[in-house]
Amino acid sequence: MSASRVWTIARLELTQRLRSPGWYILLGVFALVLLIVTVLALMAFSFTPTAGSGAYSVIVMLVLLLVMLISPTLSGSSINGDREAATLASLQITLASTGDIMVGKLLAAIITGSAFLLVAVPFLVVSMLVGSVRPDVLLVSLLVLAAEIVIVAAIGVGWSGLVARPLFSVANSYLVVAALCLGTLLIFGLAGSVFRTDVEVRNRPWDAQGAPICDSWETHTVQQPRFDYVWGFLAANPFVVLADATPTTLSSFGYPNDMFGSVKLSVRTAQLPPQVQDYDACLQGEYTQQPSPKEILASTTPSWFVGLAIQIMIAGGLFAGAWARTRTPARRLPPGTRIA
Amino acid sequence: MDALSEGGIHVADLSRSFGAVQAVRGASFAAAPGRVTGLVGPNGAGKTTLLLMLASLLAPDRGSIRIGGVDPVTDPSGARRVLGWMPDALGAWPALTVHESVVTTARLHDFDRGRAATRAEELLELVGLRDLAAIPAKVLSRGQKQKLGLARALVHDPQVLLLDEPASGLDPEARVQLRVLLRRLAEQGRTVLISSHVLSELEEVVDDTVFLVAGTVVDAPAVQARAWRIRILSAGPVDEDGTASPPPAGLDPRRSVAAALGVAPESLGIDRGDVLAVFTDERDAAAGLARLIGQGVAVSAFAPAQSELEQAFLSLGDAPHDGGSIR
Repeated sequence: MSASRVWTIARLELTQRLRSPGWYILLGVFALVLLIVTVLALMAFSFTPTAGSGAYSVIVMLVLLLVMLISPTLSGSSINGDREAATLASLQITLASTGDIMVGKLLAAIITGSAFLLVAVPFLVVSMLVGSVRPDVLLVSLLVLAAEIVIVAAIGVGWSGLVARPLFSVANSYLVVAALCLGTLLIFGLAGSVFRTDVEVRNRPWDAQGAPICDSWETHTVQQPRFDYVWGFLAANPFVVLADATPTTLSSFGYPNDMFGSVKLSVRTAQLPPQVQDYDACLQGEYTQQPSPKEILASTTPSWFVGLAIQIMIAGGLFAGAWARTRTPARRLPPGTRIA
Repeated sequence: MDALSEGGIHVADLSRSFGAVQAVRGASFAAAPGRVTGLVGPNGAGKTTLLLMLASLLAPDRGSIRIGGVDPVTDPSGARRVLGWMPDALGAWPALTVHESVVTTARLHDFDRGRAATRAEELLELVGLRDLAAIPAKVLSRGQKQKLGLARALVHDPQVLLLDEPASGLDPEARVQLRVLLRRLAEQGRTVLISSHVLSELEEVVDDTVFLVAGTVVDAPAVQARAWRIRILSAGPVDEDGTASPPPAGLDPRRSVAAALGVAPESLGIDRGDVLAVFTDERDAAAGLARLIGQGVAVSAFAPAQSELEQAFLSLGDAPHDGGSIR
């Protein structure tokens, strides 16, 4: 692999993109949407002194959503589109190896996605300053967004090498993105409910006057979904990765300050196995047995790590498959492909 | 040193199928350095598949290939250093200019920035695209795209050239230039393999011919009796400027030719005012011409009605009888 050839291929892709007016329109629309949402979000959260931190979460989530929605269109036809235009062979016949071509195309897709991130940075900085969000939160958000851009780019380039028609590879890339964003929620909810176990619930018995009898317990069992078996699915969700990776600050009541923190807390809670539940009417509303948010966050696995690993496995698998399919001299060709 | 390690192209028992379709079956041939070799065959004979395998883009199912002594299957990048390939339809990067297209190709052949730019200028001058260097490649005409394809194939000064239909879309002047260029490249000791449907064009440039029929290399068909076109000046007064005016209606030129050759006028053909006579071979044709001249027939043109290659092509097994390239 040669850095100069990789860069030549990436530049070739980027030059073609930079010279098409549609690209600038897309960036302009992206900026406009961000502007509108930033203004609205700051106004919407203005009832609380921490307006910015709520607005900030909304804007970061929106940037992630838009990047996930736009990237597959830009990278999802990079290899089969070249095949259809008969320009892939023009690259393969030179000294550029399959690796040079694959990495060059991936690099171009990453740089394209990063252009959107670059446009979003001013909006993120403004909402960070307005909402007195900590700079390390911004840094983490940017890193996670960048990682998601790389992953979606690899998924797009991967499908474009595996499927002959650009239309289908773009559609497949969208399906993977949808599977990560929505499918993970669905599977988490359904699979968690499929695995149920009996959990013991204890109550105080009640006497004839309607007062609890505080020296004995009544026990019965209920079936509880086991989300702790399937939390990995939820972890693979890009929005969960983003929320989980972001450092959380807790309010004086011990609860997370922003939306990221709330998402993080619920995802982490899903890791905990159901415990014996006591409803002690004699304690009058004190549930000291329940762990506090701080304890939950401290005792559970950081799931962004797991989520990114799952995403990297999916994207890496697709990318490696495309690499194998693009190798020359070609032994097997995807059905319906032409070489030149 | 065996034959396989020498320069040029050596192909032995090459086969490749796509699913149930056997595109190339057991093809063997050699193309020598310093010569232009034509690859001729009907549509669907496997010419493009064969060229793709030679160009290191497609792996054969069976058989061996050597391009300038390198096996493109085991050492594709070694083969790409020595071969230049020009596909029948060049994929042009739509947003790049003509100059940038060549520079990009050169950069991918590890030329540094400066050398790539210099080389691009040289090549655009060579193929006659210098005036179009700054326009986007996508607005080029088909013939201009062919020229650009040739420039890109020549970027790294390859010793072996594989050209798939290089003349298609070229105007007559560009065809002549291409012919001169190919002859010059061959004289420099390069191996040139060229496939074309325009057989009369091919005949003027090739030294050797490989006939490919249904994926197999077949021997050149033996020269058979062929028709010759004979143009006779009209019996009437010749025009002042000496041009052969077609004979006036009612005066059949076949009669004078038939009389001179001693055959029945009905055995001769007539096509656009010219007489068509069949001779069994060149010797027979020469004798016939001598008789015509001896009898005082004013012969202004005497030539095979069909090019030799075309004749051979049409006598190939199940060749379609159109001879031309239809796309």
